[in-house]
Amino acid sequence: MFDYTFHWRVVLKQWPQLLKAGLLTLEITVMSILLGLVIAMVLAVLRKSENNTARAMAGMWVALARNTPALLQIYIAYFGLGTFGLHLSPYISVLSAITFNNAGYLAEILRGGIDAINPSQRQTALGLGLTPLQAYAYVIFPQVLKVVFLPITNQIILAMLNSSMGMVIGLQELTGMTTFLQSQTFRPFEFYFAAAVIYFLVAKIASTAASLIAVRHFKG
Amino acid sequence: MRLWRADLIEIKNVHKSFGDNAVLKGVNLTVTKGEVLCLIGASGSGKSTLLLCINALESIQKGKIIVDNIDVHARETTKSRLRQKLGIVFQQYNAFPHLTARENVALAPRLVLKKSKKEASELAEKHLEYVGLTDKIDAFPSQLSGGQQQRLAIARALAMQPDYMLLDEVTSALDPELVGEVLDTLRMLREEGMTMIAVTHEIPFAREVADRIAFFHEGVIHEIGEPEKMLNKPEKARTQEFLRCIL
Amino acid sequence: MYPYVTHFTTHDLIFMAQGAGITLVLTIVSGILGTILGFCIGWARSTRSLILFYIFGAYIDVIRSIPLIIQFVLFNSFMAIAGYPLNPFFSGLITLSIYISGYVAEVVKAGIESVPKTTKMAARGLGMTYLHEFFYIVLPIGTRTVFPSWIGLMLGLMKDTSLIAVLGATPPELLRSSQIIITRIQQPLLVLLGAGAFYFALCHMITQFSNLYEMRWREALEG
Repeated sequence: MFDYTFHWRVVLKQWPQLLKAGLLTLEITVMSILLGLVIAMVLAVLRKSENNTARAMAGMWVALARNTPALLQIYIAYFGLGTFGLHLSPYISVLSAITFNNAGYLAEILRGGIDAINPSQRQTALGLGLTPLQAYAYVIFPQVLKVVFLPITNQIILAMLNSSMGMVIGLQELTGMTTFLQSQTFRPFEFYFAAAVIYFLVAKIASTAASLIAVRHFKG
Repeated sequence: MRLWRADLIEIKNVHKSFGDNAVLKGVNLTVTKGEVLCLIGASGSGKSTLLLCINALESIQKGKIIVDNIDVHARETTKSRLRQKLGIVFQQYNAFPHLTARENVALAPRLVLKKSKKEASELAEKHLEYVGLTDKIDAFPSQLSGGQQQRLAIARALAMQPDYMLLDEVTSALDPELVGEVLDTLRMLREEGMTMIAVTHEIPFAREVADRIAFFHEGVIHEIGEPEKMLNKPEKARTQEFLRCIL
Repeated sequence: MYPYVTHFTTHDLIFMAQGAGITLVLTIVSGILGTILGFCIGWARSTRSLILFYIFGAYIDVIRSIPLIIQFVLFNSFMAIAGYPLNPFFSGLITLSIYISGYVAEVVKAGIESVPKTTKMAARGLGMTYLHEFFYIVLPIGTRTVFPSWIGLMLGLMKDTSLIAVLGATPPELLRSSQIIITRIQQPLLVLLGAGAFYFALCHMITQFSNLYEMRWREALEG
């Protein structure tokens, strides 16, 4: 069946390049999640606001982010904004698109976390004399954190997987770099396999770490 | 000469609606220090809502509530300070699930009364011992029975050293065999002279500890009086009807 | 400023409509294949066999930790190496099916485990065998419980079909069709928003129905 010899050495030779690209992937992942979280918190608050416009706009963001393909979002950032004279680099396009995407999903996760908390917890805390700020910080927030921790770590891994779409617009994160290298050496399988292994290891380490943290810190 | 009546709760012509739904339609009541008042009445008659209005967890549309000469709903009133005087315990114990029993009780003293961590912990120990939960002091609420969680809620409220205790059907969510331990705790409080307003279905308990019983009907206090009179010879027809149904 | 003249023709619109059709075909076919495969895996994982649990657990783990683009090209190049080079469209379809089967398996397992133990015991108490209990009790209840999640997966699958472009698969699905048009005309935003509208309308509508279903079913369970 296999009329083919595997040439792994070619891959090993390019190890530094792959590593550099891997770091770019991580950079995009981390930044898009951090920015996305900040935006998501704002969105979560807006969605509970009395102001109808605020609620509708936040709701629109979440709906658009979750109901359209991430690749489309990247295309709009890279190609679409050109209509307004805004020409973003591949890096910025991918970063902003994935941040946009993350914000939508994270806002939903936060909403789920907040809704999961029994509303009388807040009343009880206030009844004991805590100020609203204290009630939020010491009673509500810890409980929300417990609920949303694992879904958020899940989203982090998803963000990393989504970053691979940067390859389509020429960004040389891990997938992009792998594509470039294999086109030079005609060893697609070996290179893509190596990339797959790297993604798998990072995802596995992240999710294992998350489970361990969850078990250790969230008791009761 | 005006008598300086500082130690009491005055509820004057209070009206409260949720949207179009009027729940309190002119409640008048005065509770003096050391008194135990039980509120009885059908579900939805407004009893629980009244308690929530007394410590400003719910707003009122009309009328005044005055606690120790402080207008509860005035804008200048610092609600969190006021709530130190008024301990409240709910039907659904609402223990903080992410904290142990000790931490549950120590939290508010630490944050609101500004006690040190050590002082708050000792306070917690003292009050948990009072309600008989010393052996569960480091357990999480999920490890406690309903009755234990309710006693935890009482200890938590008492740790704030309130002048008044508001109790909202604190035994209604409990299995019958667990009700007794909570009522025992309330009896102890009464012995010590704690002023209590308790919404309850436990008529025998009300008969035993209450100084007065108020019958709530359709958003107002329909009839009020001493237990013997209220329960044996109520004046109004509705009161009789209600008591007949539940006794 | 650009002149407000568009080079977007009716021909282009038809081209995009065809792309949308391909998107739907890809979604439905790989959805069905992936669900069948995922169902078997999920069922296997819900049994008491530890071997099955861990082996398929690894399968699911790998699928969920590697980007879909990598899975596409990896599978494609693997088949080429193995001596059976596949039509990219076909290879993409298989990859999508395998990809979604991993997620479906988890949902199926959750559905099976969501049926209360007491319900299952009641069935056994009446004399039903494992298979009776499975097909007449667990399956009807479990599928209704996880239906919204499964719909979510299928909608996600539809969005993911847009990545098959990396294989140069023909005929092109919606997003690739859009990209082909963009390289020609001056208004990329118009085309992309049009494509986006398609995805959005479909996903949003189906999600609303799914939410309604979920609400009704939850009432039925609790009431």
